[in-house]
Amino acid sequence: MTGRLYLSQDTSARAVGADRLARAWAKVPGLELVRTSSRGAIFMEPLVEMDGPHGRIGWPNAGERDLPGILQGENGTPIERIPYLAKQTRVTFANAGVTRPLSLDDYRTHGGFQGLEAALRLTPQKIVEEITVSKLRGRGGAAFPVGLKWQAALETHADRKYVVANADEGDAGTYCDRMIMEGEPFRLIEGMLIAAYAVGATEGYIYCRYEYPAAARLLRDAIALLTEAGYLGDEALGSQARGGGRFMLEVFVGAGSYVCGEETALLQSLEGKRGMVQAKPPYPAVSGLYGKPTLISNVLTFATIPAILARGGAWHASLGTEHSKGTIPLQIGGRVKQPGLVEVPFGLTLEDAIEEFGGGMAAGARFKAVQVGGPLGSLFTKSGFKTPICYDAFARAGAILGHGGIVVFDQETDMVELARHFMAFTADESCGKCTPCRVGSVRAREILDGIGLGRRRPGDLELLADLGETMKAASLCALGQRAPYPVLTAIEHFRKEFQ
Amino acid sequence: MNRIASLLERARSADPDDRPPNILRALHAVQAALGSVPQDSVPEIAAALGVTEADVAGVLLGYPELRTRPPGRHVVRVCLGESCVANHCGRVLKEVEKKLGVRLGDTTRDGRFTLEKIYCAGNCAASPSVMIDEDVHGRVAPASVGALLKDYR
Repeated sequence: MTGRLYLSQDTSARAVGADRLARAWAKVPGLELVRTSSRGAIFMEPLVEMDGPHGRIGWPNAGERDLPGILQGENGTPIERIPYLAKQTRVTFANAGVTRPLSLDDYRTHGGFQGLEAALRLTPQKIVEEITVSKLRGRGGAAFPVGLKWQAALETHADRKYVVANADEGDAGTYCDRMIMEGEPFRLIEGMLIAAYAVGATEGYIYCRYEYPAAARLLRDAIALLTEAGYLGDEALGSQARGGGRFMLEVFVGAGSYVCGEETALLQSLEGKRGMVQAKPPYPAVSGLYGKPTLISNVLTFATIPAILARGGAWHASLGTEHSKGTIPLQIGGRVKQPGLVEVPFGLTLEDAIEEFGGGMAAGARFKAVQVGGPLGSLFTKSGFKTPICYDAFARAGAILGHGGIVVFDQETDMVELARHFMAFTADESCGKCTPCRVGSVRAREILDGIGLGRRRPGDLELLADLGETMKAASLCALGQRAPYPVLTAIEHFRKEFQ
Repeated sequence: MNRIASLLERARSADPDDRPPNILRALHAVQAALGSVPQDSVPEIAAALGVTEADVAGVLLGYPELRTRPPGRHVVRVCLGESCVANHCGRVLKEVEKKLGVRLGDTTRDGRFTLEKIYCAGNCAASPSVMIDEDVHGRVAPASVGALLKDYR
């Protein structure tokens, strides 16, 4: 038996047996096993692939004993004919499942550094204009126009500027940043390099959450490789153009605090302090890390930059809806048949996301509700299924897209218990700076505890609504401002369960 | 406690001269070497870094992953993120508690396991997830919990 097979090394692939296959097949003579990133079709993992005459051929959910058949080429499915993948518009995840995460050769032969090369032919101001034309909005959740942020950081004069990638992907139900860091760390770093050149930053940090040890390791390895190759360090690529020539990049690991995903708390944490939210302004682009101008965006945003520079801002602006340009990697999970990452232009309806890509409900499950945008996202029932997935439509519905997480709940979900869970989460994670968030979340959890135990008192639901309004109005960051939404939308759609 | 002082010296060397000491980085270094940051080491750490005890305590108690007591040999984290909740991770948690004979936050009497929760292991498309040390396990059924734990001695 001889041949070359491909198998993902992504955490989710390993979580469902990819390493087990690799160990079992390690001693097979003549077999070369190439560990790649994951295609994001996690429901197919472990997915084993082989080169075919017209692209890769895949064997989803492969087991140890399938090896002889796979090597004979029996019953494989051409990857390009898998509808789940064929129907997507892969840009940021174009190489997902194809390349080796730490191979610079693979990255280069699959379009790597084209964005950086294009950027280095432009002046910093022209780069920022390209980003502005692209109409890219921050992908971490706040959806702030990225061009404005870059312009502010560029215009602010300082002896030192920073670029910081927010890799504290704490919103439950999301993992696209993790997949980028584990699957194509060079793309993130290329985006950061372009940003550094554009705004004149000489130092950068990737603030990676503690819960992602594999991502932190891969990033450190990627930084070492890029330093060796001359992209990072004291004499970084493009040094002539930039004058100084220095761009140092470091991975900094957090310590399990959700609120550190908020940019001002993250910067506090990066300085080694307690992760407390700070009032804005000043915005980080003007005064951030150690009081210096700091361009901070989440991983996905930086990873989107290389394609924009390589293909032009106008190309990016041609995708998506009126105010939501480009693509969004949706992370569809919960009780659907086909959980995984789906990159599509903005504008797909929630129904299409769940039915067409999610494949509908898993065996034995009936749809009850769907939450979009992580633990602070609103709940929808089927009445919201026609909502297009874009910032404007979600804002109109009083909801958020957040980081693109979509979690589907089934008929066995107890809505009171779920609401209690949301508030317990906020109570656990509140940094305590704002009283409404610190106290309100605990009070709301207590009330929901009581309702769950069948001890609802008159006025409880009114009190929850009142607490919610206070938290929304009087909290500094999205945690306090948004935490009431999942609870209040649960009550709105499933009022009977709360009585 | 010379050990802490030398650890901190190394952690300090990562900070450029013109910046205040990075307390979180220093505490990570202490915890990596000792397994925890004992509360009674706070004054020594503060003195070594040239900051106040309040500064150190504020950071130490502000992060769930910084520990004042060492955990068991293996840390079992049951994911309570939304996708895991949707996939009824409560049943997995109950089974883990039963198998280990401890509740969330506790350590087994033999010191083998500490049981904790995690708000999202980032493995949402293969829920429910259980993270043991640095290994993420996906599609965990209550019935498979026993076999899962067996590998961690």
